[in-house]
Amino acid sequence: MDAVVVIFVTGLISLFLGMYHKPMLALTSNLLGLSTAFTLFFLYGTYNSVLKSHFFSLVYDGTGVLLSLLSILMTAMVLIMGYTSQAQDRNSYADLTSLMMFSLTGALCLIGFRDFFMFFIGLEILSIPVYVLVGSRRGNRASAEAALKYFFTGSFATAILLFGIALVFGATGSFNINEIGFAILSGLYTPELMIPGALMILAALLFKVGAFPFHFWTADVYEGSSKPVLAFMSTTVKIAGLFALVQLMGTIFGNLKGNWEVILYVVIIVTLFLGYLSAIQQKSLKRLLAYSGISNTGIALLSILSGADHGSRNIVIFLLAYGASALILLVVAQFAQDEEKDIEELKGIGYRSPVLGVALLIALLSLSGIPPFSGFFGKLLLIQDVLVDHPVLSICAVLSSVIGAYVYIKLLLHFFDKESTLKDVRINVASIIVISVASLLLIGGWFILYI
Amino acid sequence: MELILLPLLFGIVSFFIPGRWGRISSLLFAAISLVAVTVKLFYFQPDVKEYFVNNTGTYVLGMTFNMAIDGLGILMLGLSNLVIFLVALSNFNREEASKPSFNGLLFLMQFGLNGVFAAEDGILFYMFWELTLIPVFLMLYWYGAKENHKNLLTFFLYTLFGSLFMLLAILAWGAYTPSYDYNKLMYAAVPSQYVCWIFTGFLLAFAVKIPLFPFHTWQPPTYSTAPMAGTMLLSAIMLKMALFGMIKWMIPLSYSALKFWQLPVIILGIIGILYGAVIALRENNMRKVFAFASISHLGLIAAGIMIFSFDALMGSIVQMVNHSLIAVGLFLCADIATNRFGTSDLQQMGGLAKVAPRFGFWFAVTVLIALSVPLTAGFIGEFLLIKAVFEYQAVFGILAALTLVLGAVYMIRAYQMSSMGAPKITNVADLHWNEMLVLALVAVLAIFLGLYPNGIISLVKPSIQHMLENVQDTTNLIK
Repeated sequence: MDAVVVIFVTGLISLFLGMYHKPMLALTSNLLGLSTAFTLFFLYGTYNSVLKSHFFSLVYDGTGVLLSLLSILMTAMVLIMGYTSQAQDRNSYADLTSLMMFSLTGALCLIGFRDFFMFFIGLEILSIPVYVLVGSRRGNRASAEAALKYFFTGSFATAILLFGIALVFGATGSFNINEIGFAILSGLYTPELMIPGALMILAALLFKVGAFPFHFWTADVYEGSSKPVLAFMSTTVKIAGLFALVQLMGTIFGNLKGNWEVILYVVIIVTLFLGYLSAIQQKSLKRLLAYSGISNTGIALLSILSGADHGSRNIVIFLLAYGASALILLVVAQFAQDEEKDIEELKGIGYRSPVLGVALLIALLSLSGIPPFSGFFGKLLLIQDVLVDHPVLSICAVLSSVIGAYVYIKLLLHFFDKESTLKDVRINVASIIVISVASLLLIGGWFILYI
Repeated sequence: MELILLPLLFGIVSFFIPGRWGRISSLLFAAISLVAVTVKLFYFQPDVKEYFVNNTGTYVLGMTFNMAIDGLGILMLGLSNLVIFLVALSNFNREEASKPSFNGLLFLMQFGLNGVFAAEDGILFYMFWELTLIPVFLMLYWYGAKENHKNLLTFFLYTLFGSLFMLLAILAWGAYTPSYDYNKLMYAAVPSQYVCWIFTGFLLAFAVKIPLFPFHTWQPPTYSTAPMAGTMLLSAIMLKMALFGMIKWMIPLSYSALKFWQLPVIILGIIGILYGAVIALRENNMRKVFAFASISHLGLIAAGIMIFSFDALMGSIVQMVNHSLIAVGLFLCADIATNRFGTSDLQQMGGLAKVAPRFGFWFAVTVLIALSVPLTAGFIGEFLLIKAVFEYQAVFGILAALTLVLGAVYMIRAYQMSSMGAPKITNVADLHWNEMLVLALVAVLAIFLGLYPNGIISLVKPSIQHMLENVQDTTNLIK
């Protein structure tokens, strides 16, 4: 809890630091706040923190702590990455960072929630700053369109979510997750309210993570937002949303499996293939990331089926690998001028600049699920647990991985082409920091299995 | 353990060695690991399994990272180190050898290969298996022909497709045991209706890699556009991973499904023998001739392994070693001829033996070895294999024996078109000393093993016998 407060206060401070128009100041104060929060969480993972942590029904177990650490780290990297790309718009950097900090506060609430009250608040604190962040490129029509689209569809999903929560409350008379879980286990609920409620919550969360059939917003919103915001969305927002979904569906609604399992089956299978099949033809890296993100979400959704404890544990490494790879790809995308066709423009960048080349190699191989990178272990864990009970799903996951490998390896070959039209590539310190941390996560991140 | 870790060290070091030292350092590194494995080979006790890593406790997700070698393992390790040495040696006078990335990839490849042959844990086996794919892929991409992007994608996706199903098979198998350790997997109580599916998963991976008949389409285009070292690595040692995997992993683990798949795979193998040979007869691209010849040879080995009797396995193992040697020799000769003529089209070649007599001689020797004339290892291997196939089903034996005849035709045709007749080229450099050394080493080893096949047989005999007994045990256990 103290860490969440620290992050919120840091966000407030950087809002005021915006007065000074000094991006460096904002970055430093934010990083200070983030590292304090990181340390607090780390200490909480090993022994209890100074302030009492059972407060406002936020509870972090082992997986929760790991994911919180991960999202704090990812946010820090996004901030560092954004520092350079906001060069033409330095005045608003502090505002954007404070929005990201607020959103991170929501993400942490969403990771540790223990009742629907906190869950809803967390989701809203997470989403509303992101609506603003998406529209933060002033004077850009695509950005405005994306923000509006995201806001309207997002608020629609929120409304459905609220309705679902209300129905679940009506069915059990409680907001508390443990009590609801107990009511479901012992059959003390009204099924006519409970099942539509659970399905509505499922639908709203599927919207948040961008799974079929609620995936339409992703490509446009990703394309309209700036690269740091996109990085934020594919790391922290994705981590929090997926974890909340897995927790809810795996733990409390897990005993209602019969009612939603078929739906989830269809959702997962279509999501797995739809993303990669659409990604094949994309010309812009942002859209490619959007579509491949859909398929990656599909694989992550497998963790719902592997039960509560396993599911949330398995998802950690997968999300870590996906986030780190997306960060590397987005850092590389910053070297292109034309956003619409940046893949063509970036031809041969890996050959021109060996540092970027090695990072791209690691990122794309990890996304394709080639060992020994974290992406492989992420997929391995997810597939391993559902293999015996749901062989069809795991075969679909494997087939979609092959299509994904086609997308990524084609990209890799393109990036490593010897004939490059790029002029010399200058890498700044911020990019190097982000790239090297992300590469380290991809190479060694799976060792967190051993702690 | 040093056998596994030395190549990794060499690989990382090689990336930082400046170009002019590159070729000497790579040769030196390859020689060091070859010497290390030879010393090990001399002091090896074939009837005990030597563990490098032996974790017996329970580990996270069942991954134990165990590694061990038995007689078969050390033979394959020796083979992989030998091939890497021959590749380094034959590249010595080429410009690739002075590229740090090339040498680095070569040794990373060796690291992966050694790992595959020593892995005693399912997940570790898969990891090393995929690890070999990345270096060879990059090598083909950076040093191969310009137009090979499409072939490379096909190659990568094809092999990835196959191996992911192997991963599923290993995972499914591991779901019934506490860990992926080889011995644990061996005695896992997998429900009998799943065993066949698991076998299929393994088979998909290995059939793509070998390649068996309907899965071979990636191979000829990849071979013909790859750099020489890449082709050598692919055909001389990467395919052996698949055959090794069949012997060590696929059949012993899911033995009860063998009788279901035995006949189909043997038929595919026989089709491969004939198909490869017939295409090789008509093919004019020299590298593709040898690529199809490789399909033909490997079809026979795969058929022999699927029979899974002692003789057939011995024949397969001898023939695996022999095929590695001839693959190195033939692809080196093909590359030299292609370089000298500036084209790989056999129609435009001719008379190379007249202008380059040393090449003519050594190419002839290599071709004779590839024909498995008596006194060479190929003779022993093919004899045992054809005998085993014949005992299994006489018709198949007769068809398989055609490989000898057809092999003679396409090999001698390739030799005749490139080296005989009126010289279409003058003023060519003859064999460089390192190329001659490679071809001589290949010839000496093939003849040595032809005269003394017991060298291989006594090495792998205990482990194969142990495996055959074990297989009977576990199937009885399940029944």
